[in-house]
Amino acid sequence: MSSVPDLKRKAAQYHLKRYGVGLLFMLPWIIGFCVFVAIPIGWSMFMSLHKVAVVPGGFKYTWLGLQNYRDAFLKDNVFPIELITYFQEMILMVPIIVIFALLISLLLNQQFPGRFVYRALFFLPVIFATGQVLSELFTQGAGDIPFLDQYNLEPVVRQYVGGELAKTVMEVLGRVVLILWYSGVQILIFIAGFQTISPSIYEAVRIDGASPWESFWKITLPASVPFISLNVLYTIIDLFTFPLNPVLKHIKDNMFKVDTGYGYASALAWIYFGFIFVLLALVTGLFSRSMRLKGGRP
Amino acid sequence: MNTEPWVQRARNYAAGFLWSRKAQKYKMVMLGRNLSDGLLAKMVIYVLLSIVAYLYLQPLLYMISTMLKTVSDLLDPSVKWIPRVVTWENLSKAYKGLQYPEALRNTALIALSCSIVQVLICSMTGYALARLAVPFKGLITALVLLTFLIPPQVIIIPLYVIFSKLGLLNTLFVFLVPAIFGQGLKGALFILIFRQFFRAQPPSLEEAAKLDGASAARLYFRIMLPLAQSACLVVFLFSFIWYWNMYYEPSMFLAKGFTPLSIRLDQLEDVLNPSLLGSKDLVSNPVTEGTKMGAAFLIILPPLVIFMFLQRWFITGIERTGIVE
Repeated sequence: MSSVPDLKRKAAQYHLKRYGVGLLFMLPWIIGFCVFVAIPIGWSMFMSLHKVAVVPGGFKYTWLGLQNYRDAFLKDNVFPIELITYFQEMILMVPIIVIFALLISLLLNQQFPGRFVYRALFFLPVIFATGQVLSELFTQGAGDIPFLDQYNLEPVVRQYVGGELAKTVMEVLGRVVLILWYSGVQILIFIAGFQTISPSIYEAVRIDGASPWESFWKITLPASVPFISLNVLYTIIDLFTFPLNPVLKHIKDNMFKVDTGYGYASALAWIYFGFIFVLLALVTGLFSRSMRLKGGRP
Repeated sequence: MNTEPWVQRARNYAAGFLWSRKAQKYKMVMLGRNLSDGLLAKMVIYVLLSIVAYLYLQPLLYMISTMLKTVSDLLDPSVKWIPRVVTWENLSKAYKGLQYPEALRNTALIALSCSIVQVLICSMTGYALARLAVPFKGLITALVLLTFLIPPQVIIIPLYVIFSKLGLLNTLFVFLVPAIFGQGLKGALFILIFRQFFRAQPPSLEEAAKLDGASAARLYFRIMLPLAQSACLVVFLFSFIWYWNMYYEPSMFLAKGFTPLSIRLDQLEDVLNPSLLGSKDLVSNPVTEGTKMGAAFLIILPPLVIFMFLQRWFITGIERTGIVE
């Protein structure tokens, strides 16, 4: 029989070993997080509170406090406007992408011969819808829907939306196909999500006399609320790095300007991140509340 | 109401037909028991999908058609989709302008090595978060999510300084080293995918292996990783594609020398027209338009071919991975 302290020591050893294995698996990520994420985040926050000047052999910091953040809204006459325009566009683009993905994935989820070909087709843009190829296509004005010009929709939009907003709407419509290219991953998430709905539920409601129309509204849609929320979040994050995003371009331009520099650019990036973060938190809160009200899955 | 007798008769006939067995059979074939069973529904699905697919792929078709046009065809508004003369000159110009073999090698090297490393490291991290005892697991998971949310612009300058201090700029290692330490391109997303996958596996497998005396490393490499094949394929392909197409990071870290295809596409205008250097704006230049589209086509060709071979496993893999549980 071993004594009590002995047992305790053995238990501690056991736990240490258990934690040790876990930590060993996590070790690369933890090092990477410290070096490539934590330090840069802290550093960029530090920079955003300073005026940063490049001198031979490093940086020269002059303390400014919140001056950079104040300047972004009060002095800079481009940044707030770009931010607002971008958010307007985003609020338009996110529903377009998610609803389009939902409709297409509903169609693709049906059983018909050749659906593999169609699934592959709709996934195709993911391969090249990032980066330089896409912005090259944007520049050349590819990707508008043909009936936009044919039926001369612009005055109609102007009449019903009005003012500044009409310009945004037209801009989004003008490249709607390329925006839809951002829905490849979302379509896949929806299709994978539909697989989790058990077919026996559909069987049951059919026997109870529900039409397909009703079974869509009563079963498919409520069951895919978690995937809709996942897709909305994913789309917002994906649009961060949308090529030709005016805000990002502005940040990049300010980085290399002499009178503003890294400090100001960092402050702009943090403001941008703050707005996106609030948006994400709002969406998450909204969806989790609606799910809790319905007693659905968390 | 007073109706003619022949209307009455016709009505009776129609009603009789509707209730006859033959009509039922027709209805079954056309409309089906479910929404998607019937022939009619299938036709509707095909037509809808084909129209949308056409719209969807139009920019791609535009790219190919522009690539094959001569300059005079490009300037002629009456030539829309099909060029009058098919020319391969654009492709060969783009091939030279991109220095294709060299750039292809660079891009493939970055994409292949980084995505293989990412599969390995992200699966390990995801496994640890799903199954192993890790102190402060909740906090670490939250931090993983945070790394996914932080836009690259926030940390790009400090990263640049760190990389230049480490002497990694303009080499392959500027992407490989972060990938080794789990911070590759969208690494957090892959960690979460693996975590989700391993959590969905039944724990009995691991318990059996542990009882047989397998060490943690052996258990992981012999049992769990082979089990995660479909997830590995999905992560590998996504990672490969994203590394292939990334533009923002290499534009900062790989400015000269060791440049991938996406950077060279951006510089193509300058290479083609050295005289216009510096006056580059967003107005498209009809003379180089075809060449640029040719270059874009050359860039997407390799991933396109890979996808064609792997798409079946890829898409079913996503369905089975349970990414969305």
